[in-house]
Amino acid sequence: MKRGTIPFWVFAALLPAAAYGLPILGMNEYYFYISYIVLQYVVLATAWNILGGYAGYVNFGTGAFFGAGAYAALVVMLLFEAPLVVQIAVAALVGALMGLGAGLLTLRLKGIFFSIATIAVAIIIETFVLNWRFVGGATGVQIIRGPVTYGFETHTRMLFFVMSVLAVASLVIARYIETSWLGRGLQALRDAEVAAECSGVPTLRLKLIACAVSGALMAAAGAPLPLYSSFVEPHSVFSLNYSVMALSMAVIGGMARWWGPALGAVLIASSQQFAAFASPEFHLLIVGLLLIFVVIAAPGGLVGVIQWVGNWRVSRKEINRSASVVK
Amino acid sequence: MTNVSKRTFLHGMGLGLGALVLPQRVWSQESPIKVGTSMALSGPLASGGRQSQLALQMWAEDVNARGGLLGRKVEIVAYDDQGSPSQSPGIFSKLVDLDKVDLLIAPYGTVPAAAIMPFAKERRLLMIGHIGYQINSKAKHDMWFNNSPWSDAESWVGGFFRLGKSAGVKKVAFLASDQEFAQNILAGAKSLAKSAGFESVYEQSYPPSTVDFSAMIRAIRAAAPDMVFVGSYPADSTAIIRAVNEIGVGPNVKLFGGAMVGLQYASIMQSLGSQLNGVVNYTTYVPEKTMAFPGIKDFLDRFAKRAPAANVETLGYYVAPFAYASAQILERAVTATKSLKHDVLADYLRKNEISTLVGPIRWGADGEWANPRVVMVQFRDIKDGDLEQFRQEGKQVILEPQQFKTGNLIPFQQARRK
Repeated sequence: MKRGTIPFWVFAALLPAAAYGLPILGMNEYYFYISYIVLQYVVLATAWNILGGYAGYVNFGTGAFFGAGAYAALVVMLLFEAPLVVQIAVAALVGALMGLGAGLLTLRLKGIFFSIATIAVAIIIETFVLNWRFVGGATGVQIIRGPVTYGFETHTRMLFFVMSVLAVASLVIARYIETSWLGRGLQALRDAEVAAECSGVPTLRLKLIACAVSGALMAAAGAPLPLYSSFVEPHSVFSLNYSVMALSMAVIGGMARWWGPALGAVLIASSQQFAAFASPEFHLLIVGLLLIFVVIAAPGGLVGVIQWVGNWRVSRKEINRSASVVK
Repeated sequence: MTNVSKRTFLHGMGLGLGALVLPQRVWSQESPIKVGTSMALSGPLASGGRQSQLALQMWAEDVNARGGLLGRKVEIVAYDDQGSPSQSPGIFSKLVDLDKVDLLIAPYGTVPAAAIMPFAKERRLLMIGHIGYQINSKAKHDMWFNNSPWSDAESWVGGFFRLGKSAGVKKVAFLASDQEFAQNILAGAKSLAKSAGFESVYEQSYPPSTVDFSAMIRAIRAAAPDMVFVGSYPADSTAIIRAVNEIGVGPNVKLFGGAMVGLQYASIMQSLGSQLNGVVNYTTYVPEKTMAFPGIKDFLDRFAKRAPAANVETLGYYVAPFAYASAQILERAVTATKSLKHDVLADYLRKNEISTLVGPIRWGADGEWANPRVVMVQFRDIKDGDLEQFRQEGKQVILEPQQFKTGNLIPFQQARRK
């Protein structure tokens, strides 16, 4: 068994358990509210990293996948009064199909051209929703929530638990991809796609898988939004902010490891929730400056910094040991 | 003059100092009454949001100068929601759960306020609306009381169509933004036009990002309507008026306007200047003699003095008095019931008429005004670049409703030629 496997699975089991058990401790309702957002960004940043970090295809369409998930959930809610689990499953399916579509784009578009195409996809989907009267068009839809289900006292607590499960699921998937043949293949095509193709790496299949998984996770993160915010309208749901934040969190946290984007998301989304009450625009400025600083000074992000500190401590120990042997 | 001994002098000094300190001591014994709200302090709606913040601050200062509410100091807790429905639910959760505010005023504007209604209903919270339209139509929260002088679309633009009918209009054109407010108003306007027997000769909804309206204005001109109804937001309103000024809408048009948001803002009024002449549009307050509600002139004079420091417009007719009025509604209910319990306050507001800066308010079962009074005004004799002219009577003549009327309609083209 690989090092770190047991602690990871203990953490994966503990996070939803804690999310379920925290209300018993009498934690203030507001903290569930903001923790939901933090976990939502954990899913988005982790999902973004599967394509952007491992495969090197920078996706600016996070908002499109997230919004599509929210609207897919809304549609099945309005049409069939489907429960949340079904809403998330449908949203993930829609996200995966959209991801496959984006994956096919990679046949023709690479680098910055792929990124621009993802922005175009976001605009197309937003325009489609703007003109779809069933989901409220540009005016949006107010959602009157039914009774709380699954034994929770409030919707916020239930949705916090659901998002913790989605966060763990995204981390499990990201970790699996990173440590399996998928991750190795994606890294190969990120470093030199033609060379990887010549070496027998099935690049198109890998890119399609990465796009579909990334899209499905992003859309799944959007699925609980109608219940969370009670109001869905296209301008805020398809906001470019989601794309910018997911990218920033992955870059600042570090794209090399599965836990980097999650770390970035926890730090930035938490600070956003607290700083937002002082000045949301000021927080955006800070994140922007931090992004520039990390790109220049620590290209590996926080993961790189932590690994560098770890390596430095190991090398110090070795030097000290060698010195004592010499003495 | 009587001789004052040293002992008497010291007694007097002591009593005097004690009297000065006393109000402070009373407030410090009890925590302040917190009134929580959110508003757009940044983003496209920031102009109205910042006006609201200043007006609420002025109300708190006024109340505190009078000795507070129930003997307690009043404090405003306001956050920036950027006018976004993704921000307002979290902010209201913070206000209620973390800041433990005593009273609430809904976010400024329809969209961010609509997002908090399910929350307010689930938690049984008294909510005073602040410049929102039909926010409670779906939630049907029985503790919602709007501060805005309208209820349904008829109350908003009914006056515009009554004017059209009296002016002999037969054909109407509709132009509206594809957004929450404009689409709701458009639906009501079409229904009013139908019941008035008008023929619709042109109808166009445009995406919110539209900047060039020349093709639409040309199409309206080609359709030769007698009146043009427009439901637009500030940036669109400005672009539409400019396009009309350049291209024209045809000689038959007697009425142009209706529900153009933005033509109430000082910056836009000043920038459009004479291009506004003849436009008939809705508003909430203008300085005409029929709208001289008790206290409003004093408030607007004080607001104008403080506005530059707060970086907001100095007129403040459209939003600021209503922000002040929402706090007055709470003040009256708390003072009358001597309670901060939301259900007690809501019960009082359901049964009583409240006197405010923007006139007396009584609510219907849906929490909207029982007697709405949106006014239709016509811009007249407006000169370019002069903001102060809008403080004068006769620049925004009230055509509807009858109880506030200060003049008769001059057909659009005729008014523009003057």
